[in-house]
Amino acid sequence: MDAVAARRGSTLYLLFWFAGSLALAFIVIPLVELLVQPGLAGVVRTARLPDVRSAIGLSLAAAAATAAIATAIGVPLAWMLAGRAFPGKGLIEAVVDLPLTVPHTVAGIALLLAFGREGVLGAPAAEWLGLRFWGTFAGIVVAMLFVSLPYLVNAARVGFEEGVDPHLVKVARTLGARPGRVFVRIVLPLAWRGIMAGVTLTFARAISEFASVAMLAYYPMTAPIRIYEMFLRFGLSDAVGAAVLFLVIVLVLFVVLRQFAYGRRRTRGFGR
Amino acid sequence: MSAGGTRTDGIRTDGIRTDGLALRLGAFELSDVSLAAARGEVLVLLGPNGAGKSVLLETVAGFHRPLRGRIEIGGRDVTRLSPEARRIAYVFQNFALFPHLTVRQNIAFGTTSGGARESGRAEHERRVTSLIDRFGLAALAGRRPGALSGGEKQRVALARALATDPELFLFDEPFSALDALTRDALRDELASFLREARLPALYVTHDHAEAHALADRVAIVDGGAVVQAGTAAEVFAAPRNARVARLLGIENIVEGVVRANGAGLAVEIGVPPAIVVPLARITAAPRTRMRLSLRAAEIALGAPGASALPGEVAFDATVREVGQRGPLLRLRCDAGFPIIAWATSAQLRALAAVPGARIGLRCPQDAFHPLGD
Repeated sequence: MDAVAARRGSTLYLLFWFAGSLALAFIVIPLVELLVQPGLAGVVRTARLPDVRSAIGLSLAAAAATAAIATAIGVPLAWMLAGRAFPGKGLIEAVVDLPLTVPHTVAGIALLLAFGREGVLGAPAAEWLGLRFWGTFAGIVVAMLFVSLPYLVNAARVGFEEGVDPHLVKVARTLGARPGRVFVRIVLPLAWRGIMAGVTLTFARAISEFASVAMLAYYPMTAPIRIYEMFLRFGLSDAVGAAVLFLVIVLVLFVVLRQFAYGRRRTRGFGR
Repeated sequence: MSAGGTRTDGIRTDGIRTDGLALRLGAFELSDVSLAAARGEVLVLLGPNGAGKSVLLETVAGFHRPLRGRIEIGGRDVTRLSPEARRIAYVFQNFALFPHLTVRQNIAFGTTSGGARESGRAEHERRVTSLIDRFGLAALAGRRPGALSGGEKQRVALARALATDPELFLFDEPFSALDALTRDALRDELASFLREARLPALYVTHDHAEAHALADRVAIVDGGAVVQAGTAAEVFAAPRNARVARLLGIENIVEGVVRANGAGLAVEIGVPPAIVVPLARITAAPRTRMRLSLRAAEIALGAPGASALPGEVAFDATVREVGQRGPLLRLRCDAGFPIIAWATSAQLRALAAVPGARIGLRCPQDAFHPLGD
């Protein structure tokens, strides 16, 4: 009886690992294929191209700006949504998740309408702030922000809900700390990992965005657009070098950020 | 004095008192809660889970705005103050220490909050250091709470609370997540701490043993209202009704019939009557049924067939079941009605009180307490 149970357990174990390795292989094989294709010489050659370098720099700068803005406006929203229920909370949650469901070409058109010269946000921004979005750095950031904000809000909210025991907030208040001080000294440090996870995801999502950026600000070209352009104009072999360079830079950054966000996590066995 | 029988008069107002507090929180309601505890007194709020004890505590702390009523702490009306201005020390389950701060930082959190003035900083530091010494935490000052034992955590929580020079202690089931051994030790430590602290304390629990161990006063909270309140001795001796008696952990609730007894009344329990309990200061119509509570601790064990001394009742019972509860044995007996008594192993051996055996039980007449509806 026990032996049968153990064997059935190990069959399930093997099956799950088999399915899991399919998933992992699906992700890894195309990327490895990409990395081994052009050889080091091809990558170094593309790395010398000023167009490619400026496109990658622009992508990094715009994604960083996006992550910063998303943190500034998303963390307060996440804290308001964490825990307690209030009327209209479901609606706000749905709105936060909306960019995840809108096709990015559609998002691009919506952003063009809102942030364009005549747009409800674009026109006053141009008039009062001198800020234009069509074909500018600001436009790139707006498109990136739209598609990546949900990741920040949702991850930060999980960080608040899992990292901050409500009792700690109450104790801090009764110890004489005003809400602002409680937030800075208690809530933020305890939710730090969740927020950093959100920043990582937001940055990753922003830097990889193509469609909505292409519609609002095709120029100046971010790295994904530059790679697409090289692919259309010169074919696969030229695009591959730039793609590998971009991939390596993004991967390195991603690993570093993940280390911040997750660090060494304590794990618990499920008794598999 | 409210309809719930809550007694707040005669208590000086430099402790804690609430008058006619009412609150609505979603589907939950607190109605007309009037409580009071003087300096140095522990008022235990005892009730089942979901009765509203924690919400009541949070309202006193300022986390919910009452619809009506008034809260006074240390003689100040704090009804409209924010939690940080009420000078309250709140101790939660597991003590709610800040996990990312060291022991010293935890204790110092309160003293430096609320915009510490430069002149006060050295004073804060001295105060924190003296609290660390007083609670024997010097060796742990640099550690994070995660590495501390239950007892050490409690001491940090108390030191942290005292650092703000509070006017009131609030405890919300601080021991409910601890193992029984630690709980007993910490309860004793807390009781002696509270005796010295000379501050009023509200202590929420659903554990009647904890209430018995700590309370100067008890308020029974049930369904969002205080159903009975008074000194611990009063409430434990005279529960209002059967539900309160059960919440207080009183083991025996027996039912009898009211009869004329000479000039007065008595309750006959069992058919044919095994016990006749004279009723003093009680008016009831003859032939009505009445329930009485009887603490098992009032019952003495002896040989069967013994006659009652003056002021006592004595009756025989058959032992049905003997169960170990900690160091004592719990006897479930049948005297024509079920009855529970406590005994030591030595007593049981002397009486040969194995299941099926007959034993004699006796208790003072006034140990029977008539219960209302």
